[in-house]
Amino acid sequence: MICRSRFFASRFFLGTLIFVFGLAWSGNAASESIPRRIVSLAPSITETVFALGFGNRLVGVTSHCDYPAEAKRLPKIGDFMSPSLEVIAAKQPDLVIGVAGATDPARAREIERLGIKITLVSVSSVSEILSSFKHIAALLGDPDAGATLVEKITAQFGKVKRRIAPAPRRSTLLAVGLRPLVAVGGKNFLDELITLAGGENIAGNASQPWLNLPDEYVVAKAPQVIIQAGMGSDASRPTRQWSDLKSIPAVKERRVYTYNSDKILRPGPRIGEGLEEIARLIHPECFNVGKSRGARGSRCEGSGS
Amino acid sequence: MKVLDRKKLFLVNSILLALLVLSAAACTLLGPVRLDLSQALTHLFSSNPDAEILLRARLPRVLLGVAIGGGMAACGVVLQALLGNPLACPQMLGVSGGASLGGILGIIFFPNWLLPIASGRLGEISWIPLAAFLGALLSMILVYRFSLFHGRLHPYHLLLSGVILNSFIAAVIMFLNSIVDFYQAQGLLFWLMGSLSTRAYLTVGFIWLYILVGFLWLWSKGVSLNLITLGEDAAMYLGVEPGALQRQVFIASSLMIGAMVSVSGMIGFVGLMVPHVMRLLIGSDHRLLLPASFLAGGIFLCWADTFARILLAPAELPVGIVTAFFGGPFFLFLLYREGRRSLGL
Amino acid sequence: MNAIHTHNLTFGYKNRPVLHGVSLSVAGGEMLAILGPNGSGKTTLLKIFSGVLRGQGELKIKGKNIESYSRRELSQFFAVVQQEARVNFPYSAAEIVLMARASYHSPLTLENRHDLEVARTSMDLTDSLAFADRYLHELSGGEKQRVMIARALAQEPEILLLDEPSAFLDLRHQIQMFELLSRLNRERRLTIVAALHDLNLAALFFPRLVMLCNGRIHRDGAPGEVLTEKTIQDVYGIRVRIEHDSATKKPQLFIRPSVS
Repeated sequence: MICRSRFFASRFFLGTLIFVFGLAWSGNAASESIPRRIVSLAPSITETVFALGFGNRLVGVTSHCDYPAEAKRLPKIGDFMSPSLEVIAAKQPDLVIGVAGATDPARAREIERLGIKITLVSVSSVSEILSSFKHIAALLGDPDAGATLVEKITAQFGKVKRRIAPAPRRSTLLAVGLRPLVAVGGKNFLDELITLAGGENIAGNASQPWLNLPDEYVVAKAPQVIIQAGMGSDASRPTRQWSDLKSIPAVKERRVYTYNSDKILRPGPRIGEGLEEIARLIHPECFNVGKSRGARGSRCEGSGS
Repeated sequence: MKVLDRKKLFLVNSILLALLVLSAAACTLLGPVRLDLSQALTHLFSSNPDAEILLRARLPRVLLGVAIGGGMAACGVVLQALLGNPLACPQMLGVSGGASLGGILGIIFFPNWLLPIASGRLGEISWIPLAAFLGALLSMILVYRFSLFHGRLHPYHLLLSGVILNSFIAAVIMFLNSIVDFYQAQGLLFWLMGSLSTRAYLTVGFIWLYILVGFLWLWSKGVSLNLITLGEDAAMYLGVEPGALQRQVFIASSLMIGAMVSVSGMIGFVGLMVPHVMRLLIGSDHRLLLPASFLAGGIFLCWADTFARILLAPAELPVGIVTAFFGGPFFLFLLYREGRRSLGL
Repeated sequence: MNAIHTHNLTFGYKNRPVLHGVSLSVAGGEMLAILGPNGSGKTTLLKIFSGVLRGQGELKIKGKNIESYSRRELSQFFAVVQQEARVNFPYSAAEIVLMARASYHSPLTLENRHDLEVARTSMDLTDSLAFADRYLHELSGGEKQRVMIARALAQEPEILLLDEPSAFLDLRHQIQMFELLSRLNRERRLTIVAALHDLNLAALFFPRLVMLCNGRIHRDGAPGEVLTEKTIQDVYGIRVRIEHDSATKKPQLFIRPSVS
């Protein structure tokens, strides 16, 4: 019973902590020198540092950091949920970067107490993610790199937006877990991505960023597209799991898809690609995917499909 | 002399059964989503959203809730008799911990495996409940081996090995929780907090059969359970072979608990609360206490699940939280009362 | 055929022998008391007789080996009153007494009118009918004991074993209980074997005494033969004076605390 309540206290509605509070700890900005030894506490941070061109400064990453490929070869400092204090300290970093709400705040305080500079960035919305790029770039001494990255992603966003502009909005369910059904809610960068991709998140009005959805809610909201996380990409599976709820438009029209979770779910520099991926699933017809599985061949224009 | 007679047996169970049916009906009609009943009924077997909500989304979970609530309550009753302690509950034996661990390992390593049996109409059957049940079996065997001396299962050893096993499993689960990614961790919580979310009538039917058979068997042991609460020696003097009864009841209830946890995760407090409340209302004679607790447990869990669906709509609370929320304070109140009573206050 | 017959009974725990070669026969309708200091093996002997413990040696109940009876069969003629009644669950006195009828009906049926009658009569005999519907844990030690005796009687036994039955009873209830036992022994030919502490009461009510010492039978016979000053000195290591009460014709102990 003690175990259960600890879980409840520290893990459940983890997302609520991330996105409702969203504290951004700013590091001691008036530091003298530019950090040369960086430890990353999250895969999205690792990707960001590489994308900004500072991959060579990383001296420690989490065991979940697998992109880009070079990251896999970097020394590991523990896992995403509980990084190892000693290993981090041993690396003698100038800067440790974590994610507000995902990195354990107690662990962060301990790192600070060791005299190591640590900053937690907030990534609970698209704008916060983009800001985090600029912030990290500034910390690492090259604000221009941040601006460049933001521009690149903004351009990617724009491209997608133009592509899908003529298409009608489609109500969408984006699920990260199936048993139980964990869906993207409101106050979540993915909720924004869905909107940007021309979809309408059926759980978007929820105040929690992640929530368990009862099946009846999904049936009632009748999403036109269902997108599920999948390890690997077994295309046939997801359809089977919803196939008994034939009243759902997504099931009727065979718009149930899996996606590769890493690209889409990380609040890092690949959100532009993630957006495109989501948009391709919501509006396959706008991407000239002639063989879009089962989706009623529709033109990419507002035809009420 | 006020003792159990046929009239009381019939009356209490009839009332509870009626309440159960009403509750099940009400809980099927209630939910975070508004249900148009006339639509649902006229288009019952077509792909109509209201019909699907009624028949595919709600009814299976209400039925599952009734079965599991009843099963947990019945197991609570017999475990309290077995351990000679009115504060025992199904979670204590380590079986539910083993089932959780099995399920979690299944989620981590084989999250998408599905059994080949499954037709779209009856719903999908995942491999994970089987993994969980395997975990339950292993725990049961472990606790059994550690508690069996000269053919008897000593309550002290049962309790102790159950508690130790639970602690060990909790540690393993915490370790696993630290190595999975954030999104898998959400799924892990299901096992620890419970959920009655299901659309698979096949699973529901199977569990119903399983629990009904188990419950009927336990009910038939009502007299023996009365006697065993007098102590092993006294039970022997009155004609019961305690060793055989203990072994059989332990295995039966462990199997039931294992099956239930495999399907719906750990739902606590039903097995502790319901027997106690029923004891206060109708006495400790197991021939009445068992069926009454079974029915009352079904009523309780049915409503708990409805609250779980409605309270934070559209989000669904794990039903174990709702039962714990009501059960926790109640447990404390019980302890307080027991304490006063044992002190003769 | 004897009610209880044991020959060369031996029993011990791992490193601790308790009973050595006990041979004893109790005839049907006999009433005997087992006496002896703590650790002499009284309770162990009773537990072996009632089937809770298994010793080495011969043990026959009603002419048949005890192992040949199932527990259910045994409980239909063999009743035991334990030293202490501890009940963890709230049962009423009446419910407790009725549990004695378990071996008389199938597990799937409730008690019938006859069962209720037997229970009522038994409680009446032990003067416990007044609190039939009160919870056992609310009763005093003595009241609980009377309920337990009523339960044993409700089994309608032919043989009754009692382990220190008077432990919690006040003097009046002790006398009442022994008088009841004597009456049942006379009227129903109930075989009674009781382990007792109180030597005087044993002498008064029991025609046969068996004195145990260190797991062996020291003396076995009428009170006059067993309760002698020498026996008490040998077994208990204390000096007493024995006098025969002119009214009851039974030996009674007068205690002489040691002077030195």
